[in-house]
Amino acid sequence: MVAVLNRQGPPTQAEFHEVISTRSDRWYSACLKITRNRDLAEDAVQDALLSAWNKRHQFDRSARLDTWIHRIAVNAALQLLRKSKPGVFEALDHDVEGPSPTPEQLRADEELGHNLARALHKLSEIERVCFVLKHLEQWRLKEIAAEIGSNTGTVKQAIFRAVKKLRVRMAALQREAL
Amino acid sequence: MNDETNKEFAALNLDREIKAPSHLKQRWHDSIDLAARQEVREQQQAARSFSVGSFFWGAAITAALAIGIAIGVFVTDKPELAEPDSYVVQDRSAAFDRVMQVHLRDTRNDIANLPIETAADRTTLVLQIIQQNRLFEQAAEHNDADNLARVLRAFEPILLQLAASDIAPEDAETLRDQLAFQLKVMLTKLERSTSKETTTT
Repeated sequence: MVAVLNRQGPPTQAEFHEVISTRSDRWYSACLKITRNRDLAEDAVQDALLSAWNKRHQFDRSARLDTWIHRIAVNAALQLLRKSKPGVFEALDHDVEGPSPTPEQLRADEELGHNLARALHKLSEIERVCFVLKHLEQWRLKEIAAEIGSNTGTVKQAIFRAVKKLRVRMAALQREAL
Repeated sequence: MNDETNKEFAALNLDREIKAPSHLKQRWHDSIDLAARQEVREQQQAARSFSVGSFFWGAAITAALAIGIAIGVFVTDKPELAEPDSYVVQDRSAAFDRVMQVHLRDTRNDIANLPIETAADRTTLVLQIIQQNRLFEQAAEHNDADNLARVLRAFEPILLQLAASDIAPEDAETLRDQLAFQLKVMLTKLERSTSKETTTT
């Protein structure tokens, strides 16, 4: 396998192909959970790959190529989400549910699966993004705050609300199961 | 996801991995190949002197494309075709079809004259064709010619194979013939639809 070889210099074309084959599902999943939009998720991965290819001379061999691209893809997804919905990360003083899903979100939900889609649907954009970055992507609060142009207090609050809503969804699922 | 959160929300499958569709993965693979080839081409081009011929060729195609897009954007009186055709969409202008015909004819000529034996020259030329093809694909989308855009998009994987530097000459020849044939079919259908339109108007 290419990745286990102790190579020197920037990652090769073959290494890129290998990580696309083995790890692109993870990148796509992360981007889809952040954007809830298949086109944006697809573009985010595409942008990340090209950006990684163009900057491959800056890649540090002590890191893993797939995690490096993963991080770039998540950043690209956040950037595309911000561009497609200006003001999406503005903090709210009150608790709101996510708006009714658009046709594109409904299509993305089909891929996300019933339980996950319904859970994410109840969250506002900022709650979903903060929760995904914190709990699925393991970002630090400070990093999330910097990325969405806010402060850690707002991020904490968004995550708190997200967890609360997900607990409600869990309770509903348990009732459905009975 | 951390263990605590994972346990609490296990039923929601929050960390479920979603499979990327295979056509997307193929596109991502292709984009790396294309970027790598473009790099090689740029290095080759930097080493070469400025070519007046290729400058005019590029400028002419770009001008034709700009006219095509402008026609698509500004012409509102879109004639309808008498009979549907797999490549032809009824609500676009005849002028756009003509611009597209010019592109297809040029591409067919370029493909027919493609050097099979010298891989470097072939790669450079095919990459130029791919770039032009993408521009026309976008123009087709602008003009609501989704079928046409789809067919142009379908050319790209074949063109990428043809651009590969390690392809055997006989395989390159087969691909070239296949492309030339498909271009001819598409061109014939477009010419037929344009002439029908001219007769009916």
